[in-house]
Amino acid sequence: MINFIIRRLIGTVFLLIVVSLVTFAIFFLIPRLAGQNTYQLAAQYVGRNPTRQAVLQVEQQLGLADPLYLQYGRFLRGIVLGAHYRSGPSVTYCPPPCFGYSFRSQLPVWPQMMSDVPVTLSLAIGASVLWLIGGVSIGVLSALRKGTLFDRFSMGIALAGVSLPIFFTGLIALELFSYKWPIFPNVQFVPFTQNPVEWARNLILPWITLAFLYAALYARLTRAGMLETMSEDYIRTARAKGLPERKVVAKHGLRAALTPIVTIFGMDLGLLLGGAIITEVTFSLHGLGFFTVQAVNNQDLPEILGVTMLAAFFIVIANLVVDILYAVLDPRVRY
Amino acid sequence: MMRRRTFGLAALGAVAALALGACSSSGSGSGSSTSSPTSSTGAVAFNAGITSVVNPSTKTGGTLTFDWRSAPDSFDPGNTYYASDWDFARLYSTALMTYKNCPGACGKTLIPALATAPGTVSNNGLTWTYHIKSGYKFQDGTPVTSQDVKYAVERTFDRGVLTNGPSYFQVLLGGNAASYPGPYKDRSKNLMGLTAIDTPDASTIVFHLKAPFSDFDYVAAIPQTAPIPPDKDTGTSYQTHIMSTGPYEFQSYQLNKSAVLVPNPQWKASLDPSATQLASKIVVNMTMNPNDVDNRLLAGDAQIDFAGTGVQAAARAKILSNPSLKAQSDDPLTGFGWFFYIDSQVAPFTNVACRRAVEYATNHLNMQNAYGGPVAGGQIGTTVMPPTISGYTSFDLYEAASKPQGDAAKAKQELQACNQPSGFSTGIAYRSDRPTETQGAQALQQALSAVGIKTTLHGYPTATYYTNFAGVPKYMSSHNIGIAFGGWGPDWPDGYGFLDELTNGNTIVPAGNTNIGMLNDPVVNNLFTKAAGITNATERNAIWGQIDHQVMSDAVIVPIVYAKALIYRPASLTNVYFSQGYSLNNYAVSGVTGG
Repeated sequence: MINFIIRRLIGTVFLLIVVSLVTFAIFFLIPRLAGQNTYQLAAQYVGRNPTRQAVLQVEQQLGLADPLYLQYGRFLRGIVLGAHYRSGPSVTYCPPPCFGYSFRSQLPVWPQMMSDVPVTLSLAIGASVLWLIGGVSIGVLSALRKGTLFDRFSMGIALAGVSLPIFFTGLIALELFSYKWPIFPNVQFVPFTQNPVEWARNLILPWITLAFLYAALYARLTRAGMLETMSEDYIRTARAKGLPERKVVAKHGLRAALTPIVTIFGMDLGLLLGGAIITEVTFSLHGLGFFTVQAVNNQDLPEILGVTMLAAFFIVIANLVVDILYAVLDPRVRY
Repeated sequence: MMRRRTFGLAALGAVAALALGACSSSGSGSGSSTSSPTSSTGAVAFNAGITSVVNPSTKTGGTLTFDWRSAPDSFDPGNTYYASDWDFARLYSTALMTYKNCPGACGKTLIPALATAPGTVSNNGLTWTYHIKSGYKFQDGTPVTSQDVKYAVERTFDRGVLTNGPSYFQVLLGGNAASYPGPYKDRSKNLMGLTAIDTPDASTIVFHLKAPFSDFDYVAAIPQTAPIPPDKDTGTSYQTHIMSTGPYEFQSYQLNKSAVLVPNPQWKASLDPSATQLASKIVVNMTMNPNDVDNRLLAGDAQIDFAGTGVQAAARAKILSNPSLKAQSDDPLTGFGWFFYIDSQVAPFTNVACRRAVEYATNHLNMQNAYGGPVAGGQIGTTVMPPTISGYTSFDLYEAASKPQGDAAKAKQELQACNQPSGFSTGIAYRSDRPTETQGAQALQQALSAVGIKTTLHGYPTATYYTNFAGVPKYMSSHNIGIAFGGWGPDWPDGYGFLDELTNGNTIVPAGNTNIGMLNDPVVNNLFTKAAGITNATERNAIWGQIDHQVMSDAVIVPIVYAKALIYRPASLTNVYFSQGYSLNNYAVSGVTGG
C-alpha cells in the first residue's frame, strides 16, 4: 500500500510539471510563435501612451526579454526556493512556493491566491455537504419509490436543477432573498474565524445555488445506481435471508451504489476547489474562481499560470485520494 | 487616455435579471449637521445632477459605500491611470492643482489644491513655479514640504516599478529627465537627483520644461503631484499604506477586495477646497458582479458605483421604465468619444476622397443603435471632440447629424474623385469582446457595401488591440486593414487632452499607437506647437477647434457618438452632481444620509 502511494505521489509531481510546462508554453511560447515580440508584451503592462523608455523598463523588470527556458527555470526555481523581486526602494522576498510575479498588481501571485483560498474552500465544502446529503437522499428515496408521485416530482426538480445554469438560479436567489425580501441582505464573505454565524449566513445562498445543480446530478446518478444495485441477485439473497429492508438498502444497496458517487464527488470537489467561477462571480465572492476571471480579463499571464497550477494540483490530489480509496476498497488496483 | 475596464461576464446575468422586478430604495446612516459645501441645488429629477447639486446636505456621519465592478490599477496616487481613481484619490491625497467643486462645465475649472495658486509661468514658458500652502500635514502629523512633491514626481520615473501612471513628466520635463532612472535605482546617489525640478525652499517647487507647455496646470492636477514622504515610500506596496493628506486615511485595504477609509484628523477643511469629510466611514467593495452593483445601488446597500460608467442593461430597463427611479438618475455626456479611424497610410485611403467617401457612407443612426442608442450609447457625433471638452466647436462637415442615415450619392461622388468609382476592398479592425464594437463593425460593413466598398471584419481581444494589432501601423498595412474602431477619454478636459494622442503627427509609434489614422498633417502639428506656447485659455481653445476642423477635413476619424452613461443616484447619497472635470460624479464631496 505504501509503495502504491509513493508511486502515485511521484506520478503526481511529474503530472504537475507537465501541466506547468504545457501552460507556460501556451501563454509564453505560442504568442512568440505568432509573431508577438517582448516589447509588445511589455507594452500591455504599462500605462497608456507610454514612452519607449517606460516599456523597456517594464520589459527588463519582468524579465520578458530573457530566453523562455530561463523564464521557465525561474518559475520552477521560485516554486522550490522562492524568489526576490525589486519592489521599489527595497527587494521583496517571495517565499516558496512562489508562483511568479503578477504583471498587473505588481505583487507575487502566491499570497494573492492564498488570500482567496478560504472563500473557495468555504463555498466548495459547504455546498458539497449540502448536495451530497440532499442529492443522495433524494436519489435513494426516488429509487425505492420508483414510479410514484415523489419519484416523478423529485426527478422533475432534478432535471430543472441540471438544466438551469448557476448564473440564472443565483441571480434569482439574490433578487428574491437578498433584494426583494432581504432575508440574506448584503451578501459578502465573512471569514469563519471572524464570525462563524455571519460566515454561514452570507454563504447560505451561494451554497444552495451551487448545491442545487450538483444535488440534481447526484440524485439522478444515485437513483440510477440504486435501481441497478437493488435488482442484483445478492440483494434478493439478503432479503431471502430475512435481513430487515433498512439494512438491505443501507448496507448492501447504497454501499455498492455509492462507489461511483464517491469517485465523481472527489473529482467535483477537486474542480470546485480550483474555483467555482460562475458562483463566485454571481455572488461577488472573491475566491479562486473570481481571481481566475480577473486574471483572464487582465491578461495577467503569471496569475493565469499560477491559478492553473493550483487548480491542477487540487484535481490531481482529488484523483490521488480517490485512487487510494479505490485501492482500499479493491486491492486489485494496487498492482 | 483614461482607461476604463469593462467586466467581461456582465452579460451572463442580463437575461435573468431583466426578468425581475424593481426594488425599493432606502438609505442608511446618521449624524449631525455642519457647514454647507455647495451652492447651487437641484430638485430630484431626471438629469438634475448634470447642472445642479442634488440632495445637498451638510449632514455628517454614516457609512458611504462604493461598489466597484473592477479594482484600482493602484490606489498609489503616483501609479494610477483611471479617471475614477483620480476622482477618488482626492479623498486621501492632495495634488498641486484640482478641479473646482461645482456641477457641469464649471467643474472643468482648475483651482489650486496643495498649491497656493495656479502655476506661475516664466516669460519663455519653460519654468512653472508653485508654492505650497503652509499647514498641510500627512496623517502622522509630519508637515508637507515641496521635497515631498518632488519625490512623488521622481518616483514615477521608475516605470519598471510604478508601471501604471501617465508619462507626462518624463515627456515634458527638461534637465536630466530623459535619462533619470528614478530614486529606487542607485538610491543614495540619485535621491532627489532629478535636475528638472528645483525646491529652493520647503514651500516652493519649480518645474523646468524642455519646451513650452501651456496646459501644465492640468499636469499638476494629476495625482502624481500628491506629496509622498521618501522615508515612507515602499514602492509597489506603498498602495497598501498610503500617507494621507486628504480628508480620509486608509484604515484597511485588502488588495482587489475591499478598502475602508476613516477621517484623517490632520486634515483641515480650511486648507482643502476640493474635498469634504462628511461620512464617518468610507467602504469600497471591489471586483463585484456589475449587475450586483446595480442591484445594491437600487436596494440602497451601496451609494456610488465607483466606475461611474453607468448601469448595466438590466438596471437601465428598470430605471427608464419607472418614473421615480428615472427621477433619481442622470444621463450626462461623459466626455468620452466613440469613433473609428481611417488609416491614411493604407491604400486606397491614402487619397482623402476615399476617406471622405466612408464619412458620407456611414449610417450614423445604425451606429448609434449599435452603441446602445441615445440614452446608453450617446449623441451622434459630428466632431472629434465631444461638446464637454474645452475648445469644442460645433460643425458637421459630412452631414452626420442632418443626414444620419448617410448620403450614398455624395459617397459615390467622392469615390469617383478618388478614382475608385466602383468601390474597393479593405479590412475593419474592432475589439471582438466588446458587443458595441462588434455590432458597430457589422453596421458599418453593411453601410459601406451599399456604395461598393467591400470590407472584411477582423476582431481582436481588447487587451492586445493596441499593442499587437490596430496600434501597430505595419500590421494594419500588411493586412490591408484601413479602418479601426476606437474610443477616447481625455486625461484632462481640453483640446490637447483629447486631440493630441489621436492626431498629432509626433505621437505615431510602432506599437501601442493611438494615432491610428496616421495623421501627420503639418497644419495640425503646427497648431499643436502654437497652442503649447499660448497661456491665454480662450485663444488656446480657439486653436483646439481649428485642429478638430482640420482633422475632420482630413477625414482620418469618423465620429460615432459622444458617449453617455445612465448614472443612478440612490436617495441616501448627498451632494450628488456630475462634474466635467473628471467626467464623473464628484466623489470628493459625497455624503450619506438616512431616507
